[in-house]
Amino acid sequence: MEILLIGVLLLAGLAFGTLGSHFFGVPRVVGYILIGMLFSPDLLGDHLGLDTARWTQPLVAIALGIVAYLIGGAATIGQLRRLGVSIITATVGKVAGAFLLVFAGFVWLGVSVPDLPVWGAPLVLAALATITAPAAIVAIIHQYRASGPLTTALLGMVAMDDALGVVIFSVALALLAADGLASALPLLAWELVAALVIGGGGGWLIERISRLLHEHELRLVALIGAIILLVGLAEAWHFSGLLAAMTLGFTARWFGGAHAERLFEPVEQLEEMVFVLFFTLAGLYFDLSVVVEHGWLILLFFVLRGAGQVIGSWIGARLGGAPPAIANNVGLGMLPQGGVAVGMALMLEGQPRFAEVAILAINIITASTLLTESIGAFAARFGLRRAGELNEANGGHDGEHDNEGK
Amino acid sequence: MKASDWLKAHPVEAVTLSPEASLPEAATRFLEHPEVRDIYVIDADGQVCGHLGFRRLAGLLLAHLRPTHSRRQLVERVTTGVVREHMDDHVLCMQPDERISEVFHHHMERRVEDIPVVDADRRLLGVIRVADLLRQAIDRRD
Repeated sequence: MEILLIGVLLLAGLAFGTLGSHFFGVPRVVGYILIGMLFSPDLLGDHLGLDTARWTQPLVAIALGIVAYLIGGAATIGQLRRLGVSIITATVGKVAGAFLLVFAGFVWLGVSVPDLPVWGAPLVLAALATITAPAAIVAIIHQYRASGPLTTALLGMVAMDDALGVVIFSVALALLAADGLASALPLLAWELVAALVIGGGGGWLIERISRLLHEHELRLVALIGAIILLVGLAEAWHFSGLLAAMTLGFTARWFGGAHAERLFEPVEQLEEMVFVLFFTLAGLYFDLSVVVEHGWLILLFFVLRGAGQVIGSWIGARLGGAPPAIANNVGLGMLPQGGVAVGMALMLEGQPRFAEVAILAINIITASTLLTESIGAFAARFGLRRAGELNEANGGHDGEHDNEGK
Repeated sequence: MKASDWLKAHPVEAVTLSPEASLPEAATRFLEHPEVRDIYVIDADGQVCGHLGFRRLAGLLLAHLRPTHSRRQLVERVTTGVVREHMDDHVLCMQPDERISEVFHHHMERRVEDIPVVDADRRLLGVIRVADLLRQAIDRRD
């Protein structure tokens, strides 16, 4: 039954998403989420006897491992240097701003869940707030043929900031996995050091192996096999699979030299499928009663995350010496939030300790994704227009929302 | 047929570049030789150290026309560097005494259109054009 449902979710999600985008101009992710909702327990799920918690976790863990590998392999050290100081500082500022404001706001309001310390739920939500959806921003830039320093800064930042988000999320989970602060430090050290060492060693190994595999198809098997093996080891040996997969990507890119396409292109082709899976699964967990009960939390998360990003990226960009046109507008272009955050929230669901916060996080992230799809796109357009980088003569062509939200 | 025999019968001058050449320079070389789809990168010692394909280069220089990007492509778009940073540094080359029939499929799996032939010191001796191989196969059929 579960295999049948995965097939239905992928195909119906794809059909609903693309048709909605084509006929109504709504982002594809909306269609994906709606299809997932259709199979949630409140609608068809209970009638079909589906127990989502039982079978979705391995899928989510592998899919998230694939995305983390791609995030890790996004840039080389040389490329990071060429991005420039102001883009790096603005990225750090944006991530720090979103994290701190969401964390402070939710702690101040006393949002907590059973099984976790009072700062547990705010920490998880703050970590999820650091993630951005590059595809939504690229879609707007492409639609309006935007170009200029702000556009360059935005493209660089959205490619890089999820790496920081993965690190923060991994540290947050390691902290929360410990029973007290005394046991947290050794546990944290093991979770992170093991992930870095094993992921790093794996990256070196897979790069060496890939040199022997000239066929594209065989490299794909090796790469996916390595990611799954690493995620499995992380589960068995209790270290961060997400961080390990990201380190795998980073070191594979590092050892792979200049031309890393052979190590990433085969896996990149799976990314769309991963995001369809994440959004439809998030829809499965969508609980209207949670959304209604915590509607104000969703709004608060959206506002705090947005404000934190705008303020943080402004401070970071100014510290890095960016001109006002970039500093004043770059945070506005970073609001869209999507698949990676949804995947991370889904991952929490598999661990009993995080079950309560998982349901809250999945529903907040899914609902705020729908919000950022419209308001985030508007804010990005506003920022690019204010910086004089929008070529509006080219705006409004078909497929405006085709890739948003991922 | 051995690679060296093929090169004697079908001499083709390979298009080469320095690793420090810019991407627009590489594009200019391609445009000067419209039939060429693979440029070989030669280091200071005259050895083949990399390869840059036409589609790869066009993808980098025309990235702004692409509606979707992976994260890797996003970073490449905003940090365009020199040829060295984008070339494939694992170039599959033929030795002069190798038979084309024995190694041809390895090259096809790499999705290249030209097959470089190098000596024992990895110096470029010439290029076997897949188009020439195809032309000969058709001629034989006829």
